[in-house]
Amino acid sequence: MLLWKCLLVVLLCGGLLQAQASVRSEYEVKAAFLYNFTRFINWNEPPSEDVPLTVCVLGNDPFEDLLEPLVGRRAHGRFLQLRAPNSRSDIDGCHVLYISQSESSYLPAILDEATRQGMLTISDIPGFAQRGGIVGYVKQGNVIRFEINLLAANAAGLNINSRLLELAAKVIR
Amino acid sequence: MNDQWRWRHWPLRIKLLVLTLLISTLGIALVCGSLIILENQNYRDQMESELHVVASILAEQSAAALLFEDRDQLRSISSSLHQIDNITQACVYDAAGTLLTSLTPPDTDPCPDLSTSPSMGFEKNAYKLIVPVTLDDELLGYVYICSHLQVLKEHIRNFVLAAVGIGLVIQLLLAIVAYKLQRIVSKPIIALSNTAERIAQKHDYSIRAPVSSHDELGRLSATFNDMISTIQLQNQRILESRDSLEKKVQDRTAQLSLANRELEAFSYSVSHDLRQPLRAIEGFSQALEEDCEDQLNDLGKDYLRRVRAASVRMGNLIDGLLVLSRVSRQPVEAERVDLTAMLREINDELAAIGDSLPTEVIIQPDMSVIGDSRMLRVAFQNLLENAWKYSSKKDRRRIEIGARQESDNTVVTIRDNGAGFDMQYVEKLFVAFNRLHTPSEFGGTGIGLATVYRVIRRHHGDVWAESTVGEGATFHVKLPNSIEQG
Repeated sequence: MLLWKCLLVVLLCGGLLQAQASVRSEYEVKAAFLYNFTRFINWNEPPSEDVPLTVCVLGNDPFEDLLEPLVGRRAHGRFLQLRAPNSRSDIDGCHVLYISQSESSYLPAILDEATRQGMLTISDIPGFAQRGGIVGYVKQGNVIRFEINLLAANAAGLNINSRLLELAAKVIR
Repeated sequence: MNDQWRWRHWPLRIKLLVLTLLISTLGIALVCGSLIILENQNYRDQMESELHVVASILAEQSAAALLFEDRDQLRSISSSLHQIDNITQACVYDAAGTLLTSLTPPDTDPCPDLSTSPSMGFEKNAYKLIVPVTLDDELLGYVYICSHLQVLKEHIRNFVLAAVGIGLVIQLLLAIVAYKLQRIVSKPIIALSNTAERIAQKHDYSIRAPVSSHDELGRLSATFNDMISTIQLQNQRILESRDSLEKKVQDRTAQLSLANRELEAFSYSVSHDLRQPLRAIEGFSQALEEDCEDQLNDLGKDYLRRVRAASVRMGNLIDGLLVLSRVSRQPVEAERVDLTAMLREINDELAAIGDSLPTEVIIQPDMSVIGDSRMLRVAFQNLLENAWKYSSKKDRRRIEIGARQESDNTVVTIRDNGAGFDMQYVEKLFVAFNRLHTPSEFGGTGIGLATVYRVIRRHHGDVWAESTVGEGATFHVKLPNSIEQG
């Protein structure tokens, strides 16, 4: 019995340590997720490998410099690069489009354009996936999770890895 | 107790059987052992590769969940391994080696700490494996799988049991086959051995060993048969020659005994028939002497005396011949004869009728021989008479008689101090009618020593003499101590 108790204490301490280690800011997690999404989503008509994968942040940038580490990393063999479009009309050439909550009111028009251009749209606007976005962050308690709108992804010509779908809090199909 | 269990006491067929079975057992054991080792290795390799596949699948499935740190998903993935029986533990770590989730039954050790680099591969009861989880060459974490070896052990145990069982069945079949096959070798040898034994016991050289093959065994049997044939042939020849020899001997003996009988009958009848005219001569010369003495002058009387003397000598001759013929004819009785008493008796008789010469006769006391007393009396009478006769011209007479034992014989020696004889003529001594002295020197018939010789020979003994002329003669009579009838 004593042994069990000791074990329990050790396990609990371990859990606590892990919890402390994972005390990262919400956007730190979201930035890591964003990079990971690019690795599990394929473009049906991928641009050639020479062309870098452009990640655009539209609207007020909540990540500040948290996305900087992404630059130079690879997804599907393509380097990632960052761009901050000045306006909603300046999103041509983006492959991954993060839509800031500040752009919430222009969402339908942005999504139309993005779907047309085959962009992966990501946002933490509440109900983003339900509103036609492809990947939307949701918060369940303290845990950041995501929802996927498979219909929107298909419309944009994107293939989502089933492993990612398994991890999604909700998949709209 | 042990002796009959020793190897050299075993029958040949048991030896062959045991040798064959030993070799087959060794072979089967080696084959089974090799198969078991191979199977163990193969099964381990197979198990290892299967576990690698499982771990790789787990790693692939866990990659996304690791990236998104989704522990629920990791747990559900790892718990899907439940369905694989032999996996006892599965743990998933992140890239830093921190344990994220584990499938650990209550009574097993907790997941190993990766920082201490735990031992992997086959252990006593488990196989442990760590596979890295990667995505696009980026290390995301580790998957650890532990599988117990129950299945492997069970498989090997079943395999061993099957191998032993099959081995036993094969061994049994081989034993039956070996038992049948050993006869090929042992049967001719046993047959040969039995044949040899039968020949030795029954002395039947017509028996032959069967020759069943053309190998060394066949040659052995054939050679054995040749030898037996040779022995049979030689045996037959020996028997034949023995038979013919026996027949020849029988024939000769029959002829000889017939001739002997005829000769004896002849000499007997001659002796007998000669008596009649002799008696007439004797009678009428006596009548002439008595009735017509006065009509004869001295010359006539001398002639008449000579006629009478000659007829007396002839009568003695005929008597001697009759005695000789009798000792030749009569069967020899075997009895103990008191030789001392017999010799004294003869000597007394001789002394009674003898001359007045001073005489010394020494007879060894307690002499005895085996033989026919009447015949022996004839022989010793002759010898003693001779001793008296030939010593009659000496100043004094000295006769010594003694006996000594010589192996199985008694040798009686009669020594006198008489005239003796020339050793040159010793061979004629015992031949009838041969005389070494003239009748004018010493009277005699020439039959006495021939009779002695005949008597002693019929006792299977021997008689010989030695002498120096003028210094006496010594006669030796050798008689066997036991005498077979015949």
